[in-house]
Order: sequence, then C-alpha cells, then structure tokens
Amino acid sequence: MKVAVIGGGVAGLSAAYFLAKSGVDVKVFEQKYLLYGASGRNSGGLTLQFNNEPLIRLAKRTLELYDSIQSEVGFNFLLRKDGYVKIASERDEAKLKEEVEFQRRNGVNVELVEPEFVRVLFPDINTSAFSVASYFADGGVVFPWPVVWGLAKGCRELGVEVYDYTPANVELKGNELIVKANGESYKVDYVINAAGAWSNEISKQVGVELGNKVYKEEICVTESLKPYVDPYVMDISTGVYFSQSMRGEIVGGILGSETTTLETKASLDFLTSYAKRITELVPKLRGMAILRQWAGLYDVGRNGMPVIGETKVKGFIQLNGFGRHGMSLALAAGEGVAELIMKGRSSIIEPFKP
Amino acid sequence: MKDRKVVCRCEDLTEEEIIHAIELGYDDLESLKRFTGATTGPCQGKGCLMHVIRILSQKTGKSVDEIGVTTQRQPVNPVPLYILAAKKGDEE
Ligand SMILES: Cc1cc2nc3c(=O)[nH]c(=O)nc-3n(C[C@H](O)[C@H](O)[C@H](O)COP(=O)(O)OP(=O)(O)OC[C@H]3O[C@@H](n4cnc5c(N)ncnc54)[C@H](O)[C@@H]3O)c2cc1C
Ligand code: FES
Repeated sequence: MKVAVIGGGVAGLSAAYFLAKSGVDVKVFEQKYLLYGASGRNSGGLTLQFNNEPLIRLAKRTLELYDSIQSEVGFNFLLRKDGYVKIASERDEAKLKEEVEFQRRNGVNVELVEPEFVRVLFPDINTSAFSVASYFADGGVVFPWPVVWGLAKGCRELGVEVYDYTPANVELKGNELIVKANGESYKVDYVINAAGAWSNEISKQVGVELGNKVYKEEICVTESLKPYVDPYVMDISTGVYFSQSMRGEIVGGILGSETTTLETKASLDFLTSYAKRITELVPKLRGMAILRQWAGLYDVGRNGMPVIGETKVKGFIQLNGFGRHGMSLALAAGEGVAELIMKGRSSIIEPFKP
Repeated sequence: MKDRKVVCRCEDLTEEEIIHAIELGYDDLESLKRFTGATTGPCQGKGCLMHVIRILSQKTGKSVDEIGVTTQRQPVNPVPLYILAAKKGDEE
C-alpha cells in the first residue's frame, strides 16, 4: 500500500508516523521548509476546554500521545503541563460558566475560579482586568518546533520520505490517484490532504469541494525573562493570549480573523492592540521590548470543526480544518486516519467525517 | 576550550554546533536558524547571519544566492510595550 501525505505540519506528520509504524510506504510532501505552516508559527497552547464531546476526546488522546511519542522518537517537546487558564470580562461570564459546566459533565477536570485564584498561579496578573476564569490544571504549553522535528525524525527512522521544498499536486485519472511532485508522478492508494490553509486548493484538484475558512493570526515575542509565567493564559473577551516559552520569552498574540488572501504579513496595528491589552493584564511587562512578530494561517472546517476522513473520491482523505486548535487535536487525528486506512474505520475521527 | 569559534554571540553558538546541526539534516537556512537559535538573539542576526550563510554554503555546496536570506521579522530594533501601548486608542 502506498500513501502520499500533502503538508508537513503536525497533522500530516502525525498521520505519516502512525502509518509508518504499521509498515505502510509513506511519502510526505512539504512545499517549503518544515515549520512553514501554522505548525511552525503557533503558540503551543494545549487544553481540553472545548465545547463538544468529540473535540474533547480528540484532545484528551492528543495529550496522551505527546508523552508517548516524545519518548518513542527521542526528542524533547519541551512540554509543560502548568495549566491552561481562560479569563473573561463580565459580559462573557455566563458563556464561560456554561462552558465549564459542559466540560465538567464530560469528565474534564476544569474549574470556574475567581481572579484571586489566578493571581496565586501568576502573581503579576492584574485581577481587576477580568472578572472570572476557567482553570484546567492538566493543560499547558508545548514548543511546536520540536514536535514537528521529532515527528519528522520518527517518520524518517521508519523509512518515510519527507520531502521539503517540494510542492505537490494531485490528479484523479479514472479512479487512480496520482501525486505530482519533484517532476515525477507517484501512483498511490491514498492521498492525505493535510495542507492546512492550502487544503481547499488541494481538494479542488480532485473535484471535492471542501469550503474551509482561512484565518490569519498574529503573534509576537518579547525579550527573555527568567521563567515566571507558568500557565497559558487566554482572554476570551479580547482574544489576547500569552505564555512563557522555555527560552523565557513572553509569547503572545490575538486570536485570528478570517482572510481571503494567503499572506502572512505582520502589522503594526496588531502590535499596538496587543501591547495595550497585555500591559493592562500584566502591568509589569510595560518595559519589556518586543523582539519579533509574525503571522500564521490556519483553516477552519465547517461549523468550526476539523474535517477528517475519506471523501466521495475513493482514497482521498481530508485531515484539515483544525483552526486555532491543531496542536491540541492533530496527533490523535493523525492516529485516527492511520487506523481508518489500516482497519477501514476509526471511531475517534468518525464525528468529523467530510 | 581551545579553538572555540563563536559564530553567534547572542546565542553563544560555535561553528562546530552549526555544522553538527547541518549534519543532522537541518540544512536549509530556515530550519538551521530555528534548530540552533542562530540569528534569533537580541541583535536578530546582524552579527552572525553572514557567517551562518557562509558555513551552510561550505557544507552543502549551495551558493549564497541559492541559500537566500531569511525573512527579516519586524521590528528591526526592539520596541518596549509601553511605547506601543501608548500609540493607540487614547480615546477609548
Ligand atoms: C499565531 C497562531 C497561534 C496558534 N496557537 C495555537 C495554540 O495555542 N494551540 C493550538 O492548539 N493551536 C494553535 N494554533 C493553530 C495550529 O497552529 C494549527 O491548527 C496547526 O498547526 C495546523 O496543523 P496542520 O498540520 O493542519 O497545518 P500546517 O501546519 O499549516 O501544515 C500544512 C502544511 O502544508 C503545506 N502545503 C500546503 N500546500 C502544499 C502543497 N501543494 N504541497 C506540499 N505542501 C503543501 C504548507 O506549507 C504547510 O506547511 C495557532 C496558529 C497560529 C497561526
Ligand atoms: S549574533 Fe547571532 S543573533 Fe546576535
């Protein structure tokens, strides 16, 4: 059996890794360098604080897989489970409360807490800048780069060809799937469309309408500080979030918005909005300098859910639409797709079928 | 500690470490700078980018043109948050 994966982000590499573990002949095509996509540009926040049960299940399994994969491939993902905190202003109190109740009913160990509780976790937070919070103790932050490198290393050691700087196209000839890349044609049994923000285009090549929305999100880092912010903090009322990387930088951004162009220009507008809110939330950061800023693109599937599973074109599999949560979801999704190919079905990805 | 050729002062990286990363397969400029941290320190590569490109060119046989220059990430000089915060929305 031959499988081609289009896209060398966390989703595509995860599927490739699990297929290779089952002995499948897999090739991964990445149009630029590994880390070019959202998987190389994100803030690494990991949580189970979702609004529906299938997402919670996927996220729970993904958290487990981080632990097992990093030891299997011998790569330190710099994963810290120091908690994921959602904070909210008064107008979003009811929403957050409802979310917490739903999550608790679904077995997620999340708590609704007062600002004072957050201050114990992170003493420099300004408790008057928000009115309530939701705390998930087992969430945290992963550094996305070693995740991608580690998966790529694991893949290569299992015999997967990971081609970087190699854009690929798919062609449907009769009912044969042909992948064109490197000036060559590869006839394959399955194509996995894990092209992130570019997935719509790949899908169109075989005549399948996907209709994912593309979002652009901006993010930046400050100079390094000694480690002192433990949890990942997400302000659901303004979309501003931050955490501290292992290098000590404060990594922060603002939740993305829909875009029609696939460009990743960084803006001054973003920096000023971010600076305004972050200095309200953490006044002590006022004197810190911004060192770098950048933007990334991700795709959001229908109803905000990922799209995972085989399409009407036999052998053409979607593995995309992860939106703002690919780091929390994609490892289990990749494992599920491998199971689908090997066994014909996978219950964990069933709710996301195209 | 003899012969310790520092390439990137900000991140304290030697020529040997850069070469080791290239040999592990991080052999394009984008991957190399992310894997080693070279060019990502406070000076943002002003002091080391050309050295890194030279080493990469010597190890891979690619020309400096083929290797290309990595995207310059704004801001060019670090700007403190309070200055950015003051720039906007005083009317709010
Ligand atoms: C600023 C920012 C912050 C984020 N923060 C978080 C967070 O805290 N937590 C979280 O869970 N998620 C976060 N995300 C979302 C997360 O990054 C994505 O959901 C995830 O990385 C998606 O992975 P992917 O593999 O599906 O896509 P990508 O990583 O985008 O990979 C797709 C790849 O396909 C390649 N490709 C496209 N077309 C072709 C072609 N024709 N041939 C070959 N290759 C092709 C692209 O170059 C790209 O590398 C954030 C995203 C951004 C931008
Ligand atoms: S010398 Fe390398 S980043 Fe400054």
